[in-house]
Amino acid sequence: MLETINLSKTFKDKKAVDDVNLYVNKGESVGLLGPNGAGKSTTISMISSLLKPTSGDVLFNGNSIIKNPAEIRRVLGVVPQEIALYEELSAHENLNFFGEIYKISKGDLESRIQEVLEMVGLQHRQKELIKTFSGGMKRRINIAAALLHQPKVLILDEPTVGIDPQSRNHILETVRKLNEQYETSILYTSHYMEEVEQLCDRVYIMDHGSIVASGNKSELLSILSNDDTFHVQLSKRSEKLIDAVRLIKDVRQVDETENGLRIIAKKRSHFLSTLVHGAEKEGVEIIHFQMEIPSLEDVFLHLTGKSLRD
Amino acid sequence: MWSFFKKDLIVFWRDRKGFLLSLFLPIVLIVVLNFAYAGLFTSDDNSVNIRLGIVQEDDPVSDMQEFEALVEEMELMEEEKDELLQQAAIHEPGTVLYHMLHRPEFKDWLDMRELSMEEAVSQVEEGKLDAYMRIPARFTLDVLRAGILGDEVGALISIHAEEYSTEVQTLQEMINQFVNSLNFQFALENTNESNGGEPVLPIGGVERIESSEAYTMAQYFTIAVATLFSLFIAQTVAMKTVTEKRERVFNRIVLSNSSPFAFLMGKMASTFCFCWFQIMLTLMVTQLFLNIFPDHSIQFWSGLVLIISVFVLTVSGLSALFTTITLRLQNLNAANGIFSLIIMLMGLLGGSFFPLQGLPVVFQKMGDWTPNGLIQTVLIDWIQNRMYSNLLMPLLVLVLFFSIVLAVSLVLFPRRESL
Repeated sequence: MLETINLSKTFKDKKAVDDVNLYVNKGESVGLLGPNGAGKSTTISMISSLLKPTSGDVLFNGNSIIKNPAEIRRVLGVVPQEIALYEELSAHENLNFFGEIYKISKGDLESRIQEVLEMVGLQHRQKELIKTFSGGMKRRINIAAALLHQPKVLILDEPTVGIDPQSRNHILETVRKLNEQYETSILYTSHYMEEVEQLCDRVYIMDHGSIVASGNKSELLSILSNDDTFHVQLSKRSEKLIDAVRLIKDVRQVDETENGLRIIAKKRSHFLSTLVHGAEKEGVEIIHFQMEIPSLEDVFLHLTGKSLRD
Repeated sequence: MWSFFKKDLIVFWRDRKGFLLSLFLPIVLIVVLNFAYAGLFTSDDNSVNIRLGIVQEDDPVSDMQEFEALVEEMELMEEEKDELLQQAAIHEPGTVLYHMLHRPEFKDWLDMRELSMEEAVSQVEEGKLDAYMRIPARFTLDVLRAGILGDEVGALISIHAEEYSTEVQTLQEMINQFVNSLNFQFALENTNESNGGEPVLPIGGVERIESSEAYTMAQYFTIAVATLFSLFIAQTVAMKTVTEKRERVFNRIVLSNSSPFAFLMGKMASTFCFCWFQIMLTLMVTQLFLNIFPDHSIQFWSGLVLIISVFVLTVSGLSALFTTITLRLQNLNAANGIFSLIIMLMGLLGGSFFPLQGLPVVFQKMGDWTPNGLIQTVLIDWIQNRMYSNLLMPLLVLVLFFSIVLAVSLVLFPRRESL
């Protein structure tokens, strides 16, 4: 439905986006992750036809939007990171204005306004001025304004930054509903890995202007090394046991922790029976045993060397 | 366009502090300036000392005798002759002029002395006199013949001065008053309609005395301040676009496929309405409290409204240009600074800070190249002459200015690269 082909953007001598290829299928929800300055916003600006690429193209249903931006603008909803609303107008006046400039017919406009207000849960506050709203409520109206013209593709640029948990849940619920019930294609950027994990079918990870990895969650997790990490809580410390574990085949690393050991071993290695046997021999009781499950955050860290919130 | 216009008006209205400040600051300023300068001018009035030489070549006694002889020779009834002679005796121009120049209220500031022609010329040249007034020979007779008998004008009063000054202007106004007084009296008492109605009176001088109204300092303050504040509205509108740009509302507008023309039209229409309302309110309030414009005729006010409307149109064009520049420039503080500079320059050149009349002609001409300067010139002309034909060219120039500015704004309006 929407794809970028070798999309690049250079500002003066600095390459902000470098050969980015990504796609979003109809009804698909795609996450775009990257640390600050990775080039996400520039990419989004180019996809939404607000910025002309230095090279490459953006195709919507096979047609270039660089040549004909009007086509994608009709079916595109963009939720910018900033609150793109008039503070001096009420929620209803804002939506009415944006609805009018999207040329929604007078007959449909009021019902559309009420529909999107209900969707973001602010129908009861529609007459109040935006400047009196909390940050979370502003963000919800920010989303509502992008939904008025029933876009087929919705781009959300960190829509939950700095808001209360209630508004955040509401936003996530709205996005999920749009994706599942209305088959709206979603391109979602966020600093919150758990949001992307919850909402997105696929994820692109960007760094230094390039896509460094992509795929669904399990595909991304498989990027991580072939090792598993285990945490073993022991009844007492035993030097002999530690030495014995270090000698086990496939065990790459053994570190002492506050109350036991942290063992990194090759995936699917059979070291557990040796460990249990060794502990019995040394008179050490194994109190707790846990395998660490890697997260996308670990993948991100592994690929970019930075935490998402850096 | 209607959506943009409506939105911009609401945004203006909701910014109550800015809105009220824009509306009432010019009024307050005009009132303050008027009172401040009125005090100055009152004290100036007493200090004005017109040094006037009177070159009296006329002999009223002999002229009156000659006029009596002329009347006696006419084929009229005795009663009619008596009436004409009585009229001449009452309005004998020399006496009327003498009484006018010797009014008690003029005594303190009008310094007159009778001189010969040679003395008067040399004293004016030496700067000892501001001007001299020559009352030519047979002046009394010619005026009476013209006013009462309808004959052609012969002798003319002339005022001679080395240079044009406030004092000379005052003198002209006095003579004008004298002429009007005679005109009025002759017209009132002339019973012979067929003999030419209103008499043509002998007037003249270095500066011709005309029937135009004076352009007062109060009028200057009102127009200068009102037009200057209108220019600031163009800047205010552009600065509201800064918020639209910073908050990415403008991006949302671009994404709606709205045309630049509709966006700019909204800005222009709201600027037009707000500016128009601001100037009209300023004029109404100052008129109400200070009676700035003594002419209350519909013709005068309709002309004034027309002139203001065309001026406001140019201001709205300017707001479109400022808006476009705001959208183009990355540094919004720089944009604000540039607009302030442009407006200050316009204010300076256009005479909004001080009257240009005292400056060299080249500066006055430069002022006509700014909308506020040109509109002042137009308004002065309108206040003095009320000739619709005089409005045509300058108003066309303003419409042309608006068209050019709008065209430039549309050409420069960013499509997407500069957002």
